[in-house]
Amino acid sequence: MTSRRGFLVGMLATGLAPAATWAEAGAPDYLSAGQGADGTHALYGLTGDGAIRFRQPIPGRGHAAAAHPHRAHAVGFARRPGTFAFVLDCVTGRTVAEFSAPQGRHFYGHGVFSRDGSLLYTPENDYDAARGVIGVWDVAAGYRRLGEFASHGVGPHDIRLMPDGATLVIANGGIETHPDSGRAKLNIPVMQPNLVYLGLEGALRELVELPPALHMNSIRHLDLRGDGLVGFAMQWQGGQGALPPVLGTHHRGAAPRLLGAGSADQMNGYGGSVAFSGDGSLLAVSSPRGGRVQTFDVETGALAQSLAMEDVCGLGAAPGGFLLSSGTGRLARLDPAGETPVTRAPVRWDNHLVRFSGA
Amino acid sequence: MRFFVSLLLTGFLTLSAGAAQAGAKSDDILDHHVLPGMGALAETTAALDAATRADCTADSAALRSAYGTAFDAWIAVSHLRFGPAETQARGFSLAFWPDTRGLTPKILRSLIAGEDPVVETAGEFATVSIAGRGFYALELLLYDPGIASLGDAAYRCALTRAVAGDIAATAADLSRDWQSNYAALMRAPGVGGPYQNDAEVLQEFFKALTTGLEINADLRLGRPMGQVGKPRPLRAEARRSGRSLHHVVVSLTALRDLAARLAAGEADLAARLDHGFDTALARAAKLDDPVFAGVATPQGWLRIEVLQQAIAAIRTEASQSLGPALGVAAGFNSLDGD
Repeated sequence: MTSRRGFLVGMLATGLAPAATWAEAGAPDYLSAGQGADGTHALYGLTGDGAIRFRQPIPGRGHAAAAHPHRAHAVGFARRPGTFAFVLDCVTGRTVAEFSAPQGRHFYGHGVFSRDGSLLYTPENDYDAARGVIGVWDVAAGYRRLGEFASHGVGPHDIRLMPDGATLVIANGGIETHPDSGRAKLNIPVMQPNLVYLGLEGALRELVELPPALHMNSIRHLDLRGDGLVGFAMQWQGGQGALPPVLGTHHRGAAPRLLGAGSADQMNGYGGSVAFSGDGSLLAVSSPRGGRVQTFDVETGALAQSLAMEDVCGLGAAPGGFLLSSGTGRLARLDPAGETPVTRAPVRWDNHLVRFSGA
Repeated sequence: MRFFVSLLLTGFLTLSAGAAQAGAKSDDILDHHVLPGMGALAETTAALDAATRADCTADSAALRSAYGTAFDAWIAVSHLRFGPAETQARGFSLAFWPDTRGLTPKILRSLIAGEDPVVETAGEFATVSIAGRGFYALELLLYDPGIASLGDAAYRCALTRAVAGDIAATAADLSRDWQSNYAALMRAPGVGGPYQNDAEVLQEFFKALTTGLEINADLRLGRPMGQVGKPRPLRAEARRSGRSLHHVVVSLTALRDLAARLAAGEADLAARLDHGFDTALARAAKLDDPVFAGVATPQGWLRIEVLQQAIAAIRTEASQSLGPALGVAAGFNSLDGD
């Protein structure tokens, strides 16, 4: 636990202080990486009605971000196999710190803070050993590397902090890559994805695998409901013949449940993002390859809605439903009554909309 | 806003232009690229199977020659990894590479050490892990000094025959599936099939081209190159049989044929692609480094990097010009795969 003194010293040393809190006015509701019409990449702060609060240029294509639980700070990551990360003040849009993955590691584009905001956890590739690790960073010391522990799988992608504040849930996608070979997948025929729950120091609490026939269904993205139900989106690496579901849910100690077996064809075997609705009753999954968003009743598992939208990927909870974003620049609301266009901007919105839970 | 209007407009125009000739192009690719290649694979692997029956000793010249011919036939179609190659993981059971964890030697050693009776029938052998099957397993049995002399000679002979018989059976299934089923699905796309229209069929072939180029640049060359100052010569594909560079040449030659057929009717584009393949193949011919051992020296590494850049240039040309000409939607997220 960081002492207040150490915390202040660290903040002064890195110029992080004083930072606004989420409660202060002006913070956006969502973050999304995107590519502008001039081809440059940036991280954008968005409000629920589509207004762009800030645009902060970044050196390459982004992916997702991690929001600090109290301060209006978010960490943006390079898309894999990128090694850069940067800390934004989300009120001003300014970069207040930068850090890089250590030698021999790269980020996967995701990360999560501890509940008190003192530590940041980042899924990383220990590529020479072909194993996933979770990097641990000391926030107050200006994002100093504290250490790492095994992710208990290959290709750890998304990571979330469970509602108990003491357990991490990680999607080990199972796909081995190495920067020497770009983004080429090296182990598809023998890949073994899993969903793991780890203590904050890396102790394995639970490891969940799908049936062997689904070993090529890469578990990639996560969302959490307040009661600890995990929603996970998958990306199928097998044949185009019989496409399996791209969405599932899991409760600690129970068997995973797959959703959408009857409508999986529409999703082209590719779940891009996953999100629970604001009230937690619905779970949505997007497929840019299928050009579609599906929502499911979490209780019954029944398909609730299926909406066609070109290159849709970003999903975030919104009051009464979801906010959607697409690579064609669209933002739209989806609620039980249907789709409502929000805005269209000359920005190709990237994979994920990150909602500020601290807000 | 103008950005999107122009994107939509060009997308629409190329899609309609492409659709008019898509059926003829797909037919041409199937008739002159895919089906002859699959036929050759089935024939040469049957000959390989026969060669192991005639003489299963690892250093048999006839067997090694049959092996080389059949492996060439596979490399020449190895970019066609969709459809029939995905069914029952046929592609992976013919070709388990890269083997980043050394599974193939591990499985072969364990089969030989235990004299596992799984080699006795084809049906049983088909249940062996795909890492212990296919061309790369057979390469170790024929060319790896350790494995080619391990354990009992009679068992190794039975294992060699089982691997070759399994390759021939898988290749025959693959070829039959193309001839009697999948080619027809690609010729007549529509509701209920794997492709909704001709444009999707051409997209599949386009993807096969770009993925094939990527495998040559990033895997066949990229793996032994490693990082600057940290080369990995032992990662070269099929280095024991001296086929690493040869595979790049065979693959590029097949990809050049596919690219030319995809670019048919677009003279400028076809000429640019052809020039790109010319450059890459000329660099490969000058390399004189069959297993990329040169990566161990800075000069050798650079010469291989020059070949890698030539292949990357074809890939760029294909994505920037051929893709749009075929009406392939370049979705920001749909092509990202993350």
